[in-house]
Amino acid sequence: MDRRSFLSSMLFSAAMPRLGWADAGSPAYLAAAREADGAYALYGLSENGADIFRIPLPERGHAATAHPSAPEAVGFARRPGRFALVIDCVAGRETHRLHSPEGRHFYGHGAFVEDGAVLVTPENDIETGQGWLGLWARDAGYARIGEIPSGGVGPHDILRLDGDMLVVANGGIRTHPDRGREKLNLETMRPNLSYLTLRGGIEEQVELDPDLHLASIRHLAEADGVVGFAMQWQGDLPESAPLLGLHRRGEAPVLCAAGMAEQMAMKGYAGSVAMSGGQVAITSPRGGRVHVFGMDGQFSASLKRADVCGVAPAASGGLLVTDGMGGVLRIKGDGMRPAQSYDRAWDNHLIRVG
Amino acid sequence: MRDCREIHWLVVVLALAFGLPAGAKAGVDEALSSHVLPGFGTFARSSAALAAKAGEDCRAGALKPAYHAAYDAWMGVSHLHLGPLEQGGRALAIAFWPDTRGMVGRTVARLVADEDPVVDTGEGFASVSVAGRGLLALERLIYEPEFAGYGAGDYECRLVGAIAVDLARMGREMADEWPDFAALLRRAGAPGNDVFLKPGEASQALYTALMSGLEFNRDQRLGRVMGSFDRPRPNRAEARRSGRSLRNVVLSLKALRDLARGLADGPIEGSEAAFAQALETAGALDDPVLAGVATPQGRLKVEVLAQEIRRIEDAVAQEIGAALGVSAGFNSQDGD
Repeated sequence: MDRRSFLSSMLFSAAMPRLGWADAGSPAYLAAAREADGAYALYGLSENGADIFRIPLPERGHAATAHPSAPEAVGFARRPGRFALVIDCVAGRETHRLHSPEGRHFYGHGAFVEDGAVLVTPENDIETGQGWLGLWARDAGYARIGEIPSGGVGPHDILRLDGDMLVVANGGIRTHPDRGREKLNLETMRPNLSYLTLRGGIEEQVELDPDLHLASIRHLAEADGVVGFAMQWQGDLPESAPLLGLHRRGEAPVLCAAGMAEQMAMKGYAGSVAMSGGQVAITSPRGGRVHVFGMDGQFSASLKRADVCGVAPAASGGLLVTDGMGGVLRIKGDGMRPAQSYDRAWDNHLIRVG
Repeated sequence: MRDCREIHWLVVVLALAFGLPAGAKAGVDEALSSHVLPGFGTFARSSAALAAKAGEDCRAGALKPAYHAAYDAWMGVSHLHLGPLEQGGRALAIAFWPDTRGMVGRTVARLVADEDPVVDTGEGFASVSVAGRGLLALERLIYEPEFAGYGAGDYECRLVGAIAVDLARMGREMADEWPDFAALLRRAGAPGNDVFLKPGEASQALYTALMSGLEFNRDQRLGRVMGSFDRPRPNRAEARRSGRSLRNVVLSLKALRDLARGLADGPIEGSEAAFAQALETAGALDDPVLAGVATPQGRLKVEVLAQEIRRIEDAVAQEIGAALGVSAGFNSQDGD
C-alpha cells in the first residue's frame, strides 16, 4: 500500500461512522411532536410505534432527515426556518447547528447523498424567489460547501434515489419571510418535479398541464423506481383536483384521485405521502382521512382519522401513520388499526430510518 | 373498498364485550343525547316526510313546505361531519354546496335533457353524481322557472321523487347508524375502541365539528357571498333560489349553540353572549338571500355578522376548548 492510498483509507475509515443506528436503539422511525406541557421533542420510534428515544427540541419541528448509517438526525425548523439541528441520537444532544446563509431560508426538509457525507437542503433565495439546494459536508462539521439551483421556485421535499439521483418537489409558490407564509405569485406559479445530480445538474423536469398549475407539488416518496408526489391546491377547489401523482423517469405522470365526494373531502390538501408493498397513501389532516391507492393509481380506500398527517412505510409491507392527537396507526391492505396512543401531538411528518 | 360501517360494528361488539370504561366526558354524553341523536332523528323524519309527499304529489308547489322542513332539519346536523355523515360521500350527496363550478345546474339539466332512466331505481340513483342529488338539486327543480312548471307525468316528477327517496334513505341510514357511533364516542379510550383511542378524542371530535361549523358559516355561507369589497358575489349565496341563505345561517348557529351547550361542562357566558349577539344581528338583517352585499352598506352589515361569528369562535375556544383541554387540529391548522 503506497502512502497515498494508505492516507485515503485512513481518511475513509475516519469518515466512517463509529456508531450505528443500533446504538440508538434501532429506531424504525423519527417524528417530531408537541408534548402535553407544550414542549417540543424529536422521538425515535420502533417498528410498532413504541418510544425508543426522546430528544428535546428548542421549538416546533417540521421534518427530520435520518443519516443513512450514523445515528444522526437533522431536524428542520418549520418554514421559513433559518436553522437546522444535527442531533446525535445516541447521546441525545445537538452536535451542530446549521444556519441558512444570509438571504436564504430552509423549507423543513433535506436529504443525504454520497453515503451520508453530504447533506442537501432546499432553500429559498428570499430576494429573487429562486429555489436552491444547499450542500453541507458532514465530515467537515457540516460546513457549507456549495449550492446548486433546485430547478424551480419553492423547493420543498427532497429525496435521494438510487445512484445519488435527487428528486425535488419545486412547489412553485413564492413567499417572503417578512410576509409570513403569504403566497405572492399564485397567478403565475408553475410547480415542477425535478430530477438532478450534484455533478450533472438537472436531468429531467416534469410539469403538469397548465390547468393544474395551482397544484403545488410538495412531498415525495419513492418505491421501485416510481416517485409519488403529493400536492396542495391553491384557491378555489376544482371538484376533482388530484392530490397525488405517480411518476416513472421518462414517462408522463399518472394523476390519481378518488370519486368526487371523497376527493373533495380531502379539502385540496395532502400533507404527506408514502409508498410500500404495492400501496401509496396520502394524508389529509384537514379532511381527516388517508387515501390509499394501488401502484397503478387506482383508488382503494379512504381511512378516517382526525388530524392525520405523518405516514411512512412499515417493514412488514404496510404503512404507519401518525396524527395530531398522539395516535400511531397501522395501515394494512384497506384497513387501519391503532398501534399506539400518546399524550402528544405528532407533527407533519413520520420519517423512516434506514 | 371495505365499508367502514362493518368496522364500526365490530368495534361496538368489542367495546360491549370489554364493558363500559370510565373516562368519557359528561359533555360528550350530553351533546350526543341532547343534540346529535335528536338532530339525526329529526332529519330522518323530515326527509321521510319529503319522500312521502313526493309520492303523493310531486309538483313543485306541493313539495315546497316539505323541502323547507327537510332543509331546516339538515341545518340541525350539517356540521356533524364525523361518523355516519362522513361515509359514502353523504354530506355532499345531501347538500352540494358550495358549488364552485355550477355542477348542480349542469347535472340536473343533463338528467332532464336525457330523461335519464337512472332515476327509476334507488340503487341507480345513488350512483348519480352527488351534484345531481340532494337538497340543492331538488331546489333547482322546484324553484328554477326553467324546470318548476313540470306536471305529474313529466320526467322532472320522477327525478324529484328519486331525489326525495334518496334523501330519506340517507336520513334513515344515518339515524340507524348513529347510536352505534355514539357508543364509540361514549366509550372513547376503551379497550377495543379502534376509532377513538383516548377519552379526549371524543370531545376533540365534537369540538372540531363545532368550530368547523362556525367557520363554515363565517367563511363560506357569508364569506363567499361577500367576495371582495370591489367584487361582492350575491349569486353565490347558498339556496338563494328558495330564499334560504340567511335562514340557513340562523338555523345553523342555533344548532351550533345547542352543541356548545351540550359539550360545555360549566357555564359559558361569553359564548352565550356571542351567540345571542350574532343571532340578533342576523335577525335584524332582513336580507333573506344576502343580496344586500351588492351595496357597500349592505355588505358592511353582512361583514358585521361575520365578525360576530368570529367572536363566537374565540369565546368557544376560550371557554369550551380550554376546559376540555382540546384545540383546533395541530396539523390541520398548520399546513405546509
